[in-house]
Amino acid sequence: MANNEIILEAKNIYKSFSGVPVLQDVHFEVRKGEVHALMGENGAGKSTLIKIITGVYSKDAGSIWWEGKEVQVNSYADVQKLGIACIYQELSVEPPLTVAQNVFLGREPRKFGLIDHKKMIRDTEELIARYGFPLKADELVANLGIGLRQLVEILKGLSCDSKLLIMDEPTASLSGKEAESLFEIIEKLRDQGVSIIYISHRLEEVYRLSDRLTVLRNGQNAAVLNHEQIEPRLVIKTMIGKEVDESAGSAKEMRKNNNEVVLDVKNFSDEIGMFKNVSFQAHRGEILGFGGLIGAGRTELMRAIYGIDKHKSGTATLNGVELKYSPKESIKAGFGFVPEDRRNQGFIPLLSTVKNVALTNYDIVKKNGTSISDKDERDMGIRAIQQIDIRPDNPDKEVGLMSGGNQQKVVLGKWIQRDLKVLIVDEPTAGIDVGAKDQIYSILEDLASQGIVVIIVTSDLQELIRVSHRILVMRKGSIIKEFDSGIVTQSMVLEAGSGIVD
Amino acid sequence: MKQQTLRRLISLGMLAALCIFFSVLSKSFLTANNMLEIVRDAAVPGIIGVGVTYVIITSGIDLSTGATMALVAMVMANIYKYTLIPIPIMILVGILVGFVCGVVNGLVVAKLHLPEFIGTLATMGIFRALTYIIAVRDANGTISSVAMNHSSYAILGKGFGRIYFVSIAFVVITIIGQIVLKYTRFGTNLYAVGANPKAAELSGINIARTRIIAYIVVGLCAAIGAIFTTGRLQSTTALLGEGFEFNPIAASVIGGVSLSGGYGEIIGTFIGAIFMAALENGVLKLQMNTAYQYVIKGVIIIMVVIFDAWFNSVMEKKAQEAAAGKEA
Repeated sequence: MANNEIILEAKNIYKSFSGVPVLQDVHFEVRKGEVHALMGENGAGKSTLIKIITGVYSKDAGSIWWEGKEVQVNSYADVQKLGIACIYQELSVEPPLTVAQNVFLGREPRKFGLIDHKKMIRDTEELIARYGFPLKADELVANLGIGLRQLVEILKGLSCDSKLLIMDEPTASLSGKEAESLFEIIEKLRDQGVSIIYISHRLEEVYRLSDRLTVLRNGQNAAVLNHEQIEPRLVIKTMIGKEVDESAGSAKEMRKNNNEVVLDVKNFSDEIGMFKNVSFQAHRGEILGFGGLIGAGRTELMRAIYGIDKHKSGTATLNGVELKYSPKESIKAGFGFVPEDRRNQGFIPLLSTVKNVALTNYDIVKKNGTSISDKDERDMGIRAIQQIDIRPDNPDKEVGLMSGGNQQKVVLGKWIQRDLKVLIVDEPTAGIDVGAKDQIYSILEDLASQGIVVIIVTSDLQELIRVSHRILVMRKGSIIKEFDSGIVTQSMVLEAGSGIVD
Repeated sequence: MKQQTLRRLISLGMLAALCIFFSVLSKSFLTANNMLEIVRDAAVPGIIGVGVTYVIITSGIDLSTGATMALVAMVMANIYKYTLIPIPIMILVGILVGFVCGVVNGLVVAKLHLPEFIGTLATMGIFRALTYIIAVRDANGTISSVAMNHSSYAILGKGFGRIYFVSIAFVVITIIGQIVLKYTRFGTNLYAVGANPKAAELSGINIARTRIIAYIVVGLCAAIGAIFTTGRLQSTTALLGEGFEFNPIAASVIGGVSLSGGYGEIIGTFIGAIFMAALENGVLKLQMNTAYQYVIKGVIIIMVVIFDAWFNSVMEKKAQEAAAGKEA
């Protein structure tokens, strides 16, 4: 169990990216044999801190101490030598190799210059037995599910005699049962004296596992709590800061009630349970917000309704007509879709504003059924620029060279050329500066006032509450709570999304 | 049964089916001599296939093997025609040329970060052009084929009776290739780099070095292939090996090496090379238009690739279900 010997200490860490401070005077310490959770909203600086500790980023100021001595870490290899292993969110295992080959990758035991497979398997079996993992040394990793693959990676970290494991959202892609066995393993490791940094958005997990909790807010230490002090409402308050919480949402004008249902989704489920039996209705002129944690199934649900991905059962109707679940047909029916991954899915970086705007609208700019009218195309691009103030206003500017905010405006600009009925926007302001955010909000509000249904999926609570008329919170693939935005606070949404209430 | 074992049996089954098909239609197919000839014809693509398999496992490709062969042969032809350098040293120089070609490919791909397809397409052109530049010409300046018929060189085209030396080399190199793949860190690293380079890097594997060595192995194999080919032909031309790069790649694919990297083994390529040679041989025996050979080869490759995609997904699904069943 945890004693008070400190194994890792990061002192007075400062870091900024192109002048924007991301970490300011952050202090973080981990004791020997404790599970230390690290929490904070998106952008609070958690992953930057971890990347500094693991040598991926260099720090601007501050020092890192390992077992009482100051250390310089410049690469992940340096960190591994100290005895720190990081279990990344995207798994770094090799599917074509066996469990044993993965564990000993790069340092296989050799006899006469050839790999000693027998010893490797034996050593791996020993490790497996010591930690009680449900693995077999000679099984191909390709044949393992995601949860077991994660155990392979943990085993690999442990095999280098790691004294500290860093786990970044380890349960993000695990089923409930897989997560449960992971928790048991984490507890077992702690009992054997291994320290663990546990990064998670899920309060229930943090409460269950951690001996202590460090909360970051806006790149600064907000609190360090002992296990007894980890109380959901207190943690949330610490994470988001009290002032913001109370002011948000209340100032917004309430939308006039309009009961005309435009989009009606019934019992929507997919094959693998990313969303299960989801039903909701969206009304004319409504901005409907989807809240919840990353991985709750919001993006998957929207993609399936729009028709990019398949769903297994359920129906979605637009003004009483069932959708055909193909992007092409959905666009024809009056859908617009602004994807989460703007750069890869939202626009074509090498093309100009004119071309990007025209891309989804060639059915409109087609002159006589076959050829494209350059003039119509150009007029449309210029119209988009004027409508939503895209800068620079040069219609021939490559979109890839613009700022994130203006790129997003181009994406919105192409949709508003159409006769839209429903516009789905997924994380519309991720990576966009504050000024441009406001402009994007007012574009969305404008569209709603024209009677268009706007569905917004966002992990930014402030944004969710500020923009939405009504909020649905998803958790593990189901809608578990509905809020009217006039009365909701960030804590309420966060509590519902992390499963603390109800 | 393990997936790999099963896949090997499938390759063997395909080969057996092909052989049965041809032996029913032609009496002269299933004879000991013809079988030994098939192995001989499979040998050069199979030897080069060892290196190509390594490269494909790292999720690369090498299109320059035919041109490498030509360059190696032409350098040796110059030595043969214009110097008194002994044959063994000439052969060593040839192997060195293959090595250098491999290094060039490796650097272009791993250090200059060109996509493998484009990088080796470019070097294919360069190696072929160099071959023309150094080609031996007759008195009128026309490129001519060069005789390399000294008895101590021509012996490379022969064997113990009908067991050709090239066939022996094919078997030996295949065995060494398989051992290196399964029992050395380099072999494991090939899979790691091909399947998940990020994970390989985090495990301290030098990705660039692994890829460069793989291309060097191809260069060496191509040189060995060139030596045996010219030994048998007792001559070379600037056209040697044109279009040949297709064969080792086809052998690998038929043997179950995945073009997206991470999967495959040398034994598969061995069987694949024999399959291709048997197909060619059978088409000739049936006196079909040889153009059909390319149609049949192409169709078979398409079918094998489709089959492998399906096969791998089925096997993975089955194994995952089995694993899930165990957990429950």
